[in-house]
Amino acid sequence: MSAGPCAIVGIGQTDHKTRRWDVSLGGLVREAATRALEDAQLTWADIDAVVLGKAPDLFEGVMKPELYLTDALGAAGKPMFRVHTAGSVGGTTGIVASHLVEAGIHRNVLAVAYQKQSEGNAQFALGSGKGASLGAGGAFAPYMRSYIQQTGAPADIGPMVAVKDRLNALKNPYAHLRLADISIEKVKASPMMWEPVRYLESCPSSDGACAVVFTDEEGGRAAASDGRPPAWVLASAVRSEPASFPGRDPVWSQGAADCAADVYRAAGLTRPREQIDCAELYVPFSWYEPMWLEAHDLADRGEGWKMVERGDTALDGAFPVNMSGGVLSSNPIGASGLLRFAEAALQVRGMAGEHQVDGAKVALAQAYGASAQYFSMWVVAGSLDAVG
Amino acid sequence: MTQPAARQPVAIVGWARTPMLRRTDKTEAHLLFDVVTGATEDAGITRADVDFSCAGSCDYVAGQAFSFVQNIDAVGAWPPKRDSHVEMDGAWALYEAWVRLQLGDIDVAIAMGSGRSSTADPATIYPMEMDPYYLAPLGADALTFAALQARVLLDAGLVTERQLAEVAARTRGDARTNPYAQVSGEYDVDALLEEEYVRAPLRRHDLAPITDGAAAVVIARGDRARELTDHPVWITGFAHSAEAHQPGVRDLRTSASARRAAKAAGADTAPIEVAELQTAFTHEEPLLAAALGLGPEVALNPSGGPLAANPVMATGLIRVIEAAQQIRDHGTQRALAHATSGPCLQQNLVAVLEGDR
Amino acid sequence: MTTYVTSTVRFPYKRSLGPVIGHFMTELTHQRLVGIRSGERVIVPPLEWDPDTAQALAPDFVEVGPAGTVRSWTWVAQPSAQHPLDRPFAFALIELDGASTALLHAVDAGDIAAMATGMRVAPRWRAERVGHLTDIEAFVPGEQPVAPAGDTGPAAEPVTMMNYDASITYTTPVPATQQLVLRAAAEGRLTGLRCPTCGRVYSGAYTGLQNACPVCALPLGTEHAVDLPETGTITNYTIITPVQYPGQTETEPFARVHVLLDDVDSVMAYQPVVDLPNADVRPGVRVRAVWTTGEEGRQELAGWTPTGEPDLDDPSIVNRIF
Repeated sequence: MSAGPCAIVGIGQTDHKTRRWDVSLGGLVREAATRALEDAQLTWADIDAVVLGKAPDLFEGVMKPELYLTDALGAAGKPMFRVHTAGSVGGTTGIVASHLVEAGIHRNVLAVAYQKQSEGNAQFALGSGKGASLGAGGAFAPYMRSYIQQTGAPADIGPMVAVKDRLNALKNPYAHLRLADISIEKVKASPMMWEPVRYLESCPSSDGACAVVFTDEEGGRAAASDGRPPAWVLASAVRSEPASFPGRDPVWSQGAADCAADVYRAAGLTRPREQIDCAELYVPFSWYEPMWLEAHDLADRGEGWKMVERGDTALDGAFPVNMSGGVLSSNPIGASGLLRFAEAALQVRGMAGEHQVDGAKVALAQAYGASAQYFSMWVVAGSLDAVG
Repeated sequence: MTQPAARQPVAIVGWARTPMLRRTDKTEAHLLFDVVTGATEDAGITRADVDFSCAGSCDYVAGQAFSFVQNIDAVGAWPPKRDSHVEMDGAWALYEAWVRLQLGDIDVAIAMGSGRSSTADPATIYPMEMDPYYLAPLGADALTFAALQARVLLDAGLVTERQLAEVAARTRGDARTNPYAQVSGEYDVDALLEEEYVRAPLRRHDLAPITDGAAAVVIARGDRARELTDHPVWITGFAHSAEAHQPGVRDLRTSASARRAAKAAGADTAPIEVAELQTAFTHEEPLLAAALGLGPEVALNPSGGPLAANPVMATGLIRVIEAAQQIRDHGTQRALAHATSGPCLQQNLVAVLEGDR
Repeated sequence: MTTYVTSTVRFPYKRSLGPVIGHFMTELTHQRLVGIRSGERVIVPPLEWDPDTAQALAPDFVEVGPAGTVRSWTWVAQPSAQHPLDRPFAFALIELDGASTALLHAVDAGDIAAMATGMRVAPRWRAERVGHLTDIEAFVPGEQPVAPAGDTGPAAEPVTMMNYDASITYTTPVPATQQLVLRAAAEGRLTGLRCPTCGRVYSGAYTGLQNACPVCALPLGTEHAVDLPETGTITNYTIITPVQYPGQTETEPFARVHVLLDDVDSVMAYQPVVDLPNADVRPGVRVRAVWTTGEEGRQELAGWTPTGEPDLDDPSIVNRIF
């Protein structure tokens, strides 16, 4: 690779809620972007380019919102870019921004992803206004059933993930859902939404934004010298596969495997489960935690649910997953991918506060989209030589 | 800011376009199938040889959320591909693909743009890309903003209505030799000036047609480009820039972001012979020519430009194709391609293309 | 011959305004126009951040107008449904007195001949104002604002939200393959498309017929049509509890099943069921297609119903979602 290293020196996110009726669309993204700039100790004038990502514009009824948001994002006079890769878009946003720095095209790049779902209705947008919408959960419920039946996973595994992530969220000041009294019994008693997925096993619909400031090696080292340790992007990867064809594996999909193999190889990881300290994975429905562990080669086939059952993926476990509370606790759809990437970066910077994994040096983030067919992943570390 | 010289030389090695139709009966995915097949064949490769794909399209043009998902079939995403999508014109998809190749680990990428504008009335769609509080609620659409900018130019004495009609006549006349033109013919300027206004001061001839179409461009790095073709078209400069959204805040007599993009792309470091500009309205041609520093010696939109065919979300990418074609097939040495987005040219992209010496 | 299908995308969006836009809208209900100061400039309509420097603007509001000067204009001879007036009018960029930037609004000038750059205009206020840009019905030529008869007064509370109801109607061509499938269905036959290269057969899904083979990157046409068996096995399913939204048609939990067709390795995804209670839906159930007769004797696939045969005993089929 002829590209240069890329450092993350600023991270910001909004207070995610069902309705952010205190702000305009611009105000929402601005809140995250301002926090990221403050974290990076940079000004708007220091930013050379802006990359915006979000999921379908039908959610808010604003088409090509980067045009209106130019002012909110300080992009006047700069290049402004808008990516859209369905649910994985937050990840893609970060990756495209990192490429601009790695390729030496820009020095300081601001990536922002958001969704203000309260202005519309998620089910309407997902179904493009037609009746009997499957919703996101209805489309994936069969995939989860396939995993459960083929692995023989006990029924409590999904609820265990739901509880773990919401308890983690209590340690994340930005998280949307704050369910202090959550329990496996409560999850199992909650209404069935898309059989077998219950209400408390599903993600909320959130208004929120996430912003990340990327800079080059010089900028990263300067931040480090200044006592503000950056996260370094060791590698990133994306894969897309077709939505449907006879014989496509919905659970252990080729795209998931290939994307993971690519990012692990590029990051120099030969034993990802051991060499990665923690992961932020896009889990909008509880069962996707063991499913992604297996699909991305962090657990052997049929072993992912055992990691959950053993408590490996808990905050104090052997392989913490979704320390922030994950998508199950905050889901502004377009931003959720970037939140995963940003939370992984917070971990290796030692800046995750109460949900920090002690000594985290290498972290993985993943986002997926559409019919579990778009994947974006990255590996970040506290130093460029963290993978031994 | 001026970008440093790109480390990786990247060339356009093939392309394809669909016929430009007022209304196609093919799905958008099918249009993309055709151009991905056409572009890869033009480049002498197969889909399997493509390391990265990036598409440009828009849900609101398509009328459906996640509309790009069915388009992925056209790319040949099995085995799974490195792939991305922008909710922007294919010219920006090409930019993302070009950036990706700069990393030096992969060699070949394809960029696509597609859209079927025939499916809905643009007057109902384009207000939705305007400020949601101050502009969209008035139904203020692209035609309105273009007309407002045209009047500013007329009032400032920077253009005349006759000049606009001359642009209309010249481009449609040039389009007669372009098999990918939808609207072409010989027009009499005086007759055009007799026509009614559609959105004063703009008349029908000042406006681009409604077009369904798609395009794809294959690019490759350095040595791989030379392996694939004897006539690589090098992208020697590539940049874009944006301005404030509200037209009421900007000086509409010029395009500051177009000027910035041209400078950042190094357009002015050597003479430009041909420029393909994404001018959906006649007045935008003299405005952009001035902003981009293109003098009277530069051939503007010899293809006919968007005034001859305007498949929204592919129009900008097609400017790149037309400019590349001038270099590969017609002996041009240095050309400029331009794309734009937003009201009154809010955001502009410039690519500088050169042939081998 | 191409046929078309029409669909309308429409949703009543509800937007929160934030403090700056909210203040502007509230002031409109008071028949006042305000801008926001940024350095030497007064920006109208007020933006939250300076468009050149990106700096957040302090809430330093300035009353502007009510009259202003037209800086540019255009004539809308045939207004659309989204325009503020339903008779010919002008859109204009209006620099209100005291403002540094121009506001876009309608000018109800009556005739194109009455419009000119540099003319003076003033707002004609709506009687009932809610805090929306159309609280100004339009601007009119002259210096004096026009107050409405039957003025209901300003908003009782500060305005914080606005509604936006946009509607776009799309007319899209129905692919020939889809037409063929619909014609066959009208006769009570199921049709799929077989890829000539890999032999995979594509049948109907939730989103409609897939008319390409993505594995071979090949569009499929009517020449690839094959009859599909009308019996198969449920491989997987979900039961959906409906949520309400504009356009929703369901009120009770409903099943959607995946059916692996007999003899043809093809799955019809997210299909409705007929005479199969939700509690009895499971992988392995043998089903057959059910047709209902509609207008002019046209058949329509209603869904899938149990054949009564014993379940297929094959745990691996649950992965056949596709």
